[in-house]
Amino acid sequence: MKVLMKPIDVIATYPRDGLPIPHRYRIADTDGSTQVIKVDRILYRTEEKLAGNRMLIYRCQSIIAGSRRVYELKYELSTCRWFLFKM
Amino acid sequence: MAGKRKIIFHIDVNSAYLSWEAVDRLQHGASLDIRTIPAVIGGNPEKRHGIVLAKSIPAKKYQIKTGETLYAARLKCPDLAIFPPRYDLYIRCSEAMLELLREYSPHIQRYSIDEVFLDYTHMEEHFGDPIEAAHQIKDRIHGELGFTVNIGISTNKLLAKMASDFSKPNKVHTLFPAEVPEKLWPLPVEELFMVGRATAPKLHRFGIYTIGDLARADPDLLKKRLKSHGLLIWNYANGREDSPVGDLPGIKSVGNSSTIAFDVEDRKTAHMFLLSLSEMVGMRLRNAGYLAQLVAVSLKTKDFFSYSHQRKLYTATDATNQIYGAAASLFDEMWQGEPLRAIGVRAGALVDGSLQQLSLFDPGNAWKERAMDAAVDKIRNKYGSNMIMRAVFLHSGIRPLTGGVWEEDYPMMSSIL
Repeated sequence: MKVLMKPIDVIATYPRDGLPIPHRYRIADTDGSTQVIKVDRILYRTEEKLAGNRMLIYRCQSIIAGSRRVYELKYELSTCRWFLFKM
Repeated sequence: MAGKRKIIFHIDVNSAYLSWEAVDRLQHGASLDIRTIPAVIGGNPEKRHGIVLAKSIPAKKYQIKTGETLYAARLKCPDLAIFPPRYDLYIRCSEAMLELLREYSPHIQRYSIDEVFLDYTHMEEHFGDPIEAAHQIKDRIHGELGFTVNIGISTNKLLAKMASDFSKPNKVHTLFPAEVPEKLWPLPVEELFMVGRATAPKLHRFGIYTIGDLARADPDLLKKRLKSHGLLIWNYANGREDSPVGDLPGIKSVGNSSTIAFDVEDRKTAHMFLLSLSEMVGMRLRNAGYLAQLVAVSLKTKDFFSYSHQRKLYTATDATNQIYGAAASLFDEMWQGEPLRAIGVRAGALVDGSLQQLSLFDPGNAWKERAMDAAVDKIRNKYGSNMIMRAVFLHSGIRPLTGGVWEEDYPMMSSIL
């Protein structure tokens, strides 16, 4: 997997007793076109606080262009922003 | 339990500002770790704040030193990468480290933004052998927070601090009293805490070159020549120091200074900078709850010549106007008209601010002034520091408040253990 750290638009649920769950995200390509990807499975979630900055990391799996891909999404708590971290 | 020997840790972040910047960049997707290339954290040369604040270990190999100008550093290494300082990031990193350390002991002292003392006495029962615990702390900071630290272990703060400086990065060192002759005494005397640029040449004149020489020197002679400071460093050289780990009894003085983007050549502009600095000093004094009995002004000319004057006040104050008044009159007494590149205002001889002795002879109404300062502080804290300013600063291009480190006052450096 390669580090991308691309900001993404996300549809997520924020359950009353837990941490956010991403369902779908939209990623912009360099040519301006966008692609919407459905999160098929969240394999596991970890948390990091590097440099004191809390981020949630979701290892996820989706079917993209016909093949199964594993990748990581990151959620930065201090800014409430989502990133496609690695793919 | 009484009489048990103390165990003190000194935790020191390796190249703090630079490491923190590196970790933040990596977390946000950077592919390059700036700790692995010649890199420095430095101010903005256009505003003439261009000095090296922190350097990477590869930068050190080019003989780049903290405090030198970015220009000089670039001459030594043309490919040097320079990053601006980000104090909000440093405070966040420092807080995160403190939070982790609090798990290990209730007695913790933040010595500066990147140095912490931790009293490990009696904690063996919970976390085991001190050396193993120190390794665990060091590794956890590295793993969880992403940066490396050195930990010095000893029986007092001085020796722990000396130990953490031995070899870097990411190491644990001990310096127990029995190890002092072997590990501390061979070092050059200027490595000792509190022996600086002024003291070292004096010691050299007495034939004292290593810390061991100082430890074996005659304390009477040192006291005669260097006054109480001589005895202090003699005790330090022998590893004697016993201050408790805890927050400092209080701050000694509050000061702000600023290097100005242009040379100041007229009295009126200089007075505006003094007022702007006095606003910050006054606000910090009031926030900390102190009154000052002393005001000092320091100037640096464009040729880097520095001088300062100070004056005792008749009554202790925290009023911006009073501080400014004293600063302005000090300035008028000392300034010879040479172009200035930096101006500083400091308030010292602090006393508790909950009671205030009023003077019959002060002009104006001290209580009214206090109320006004309080109102201005309130507005600034609630809506931002630029929401209210003195009219003199309108269209002047000079900021109505000058001086950094406002959010929370962390000492960047200190000489009190």
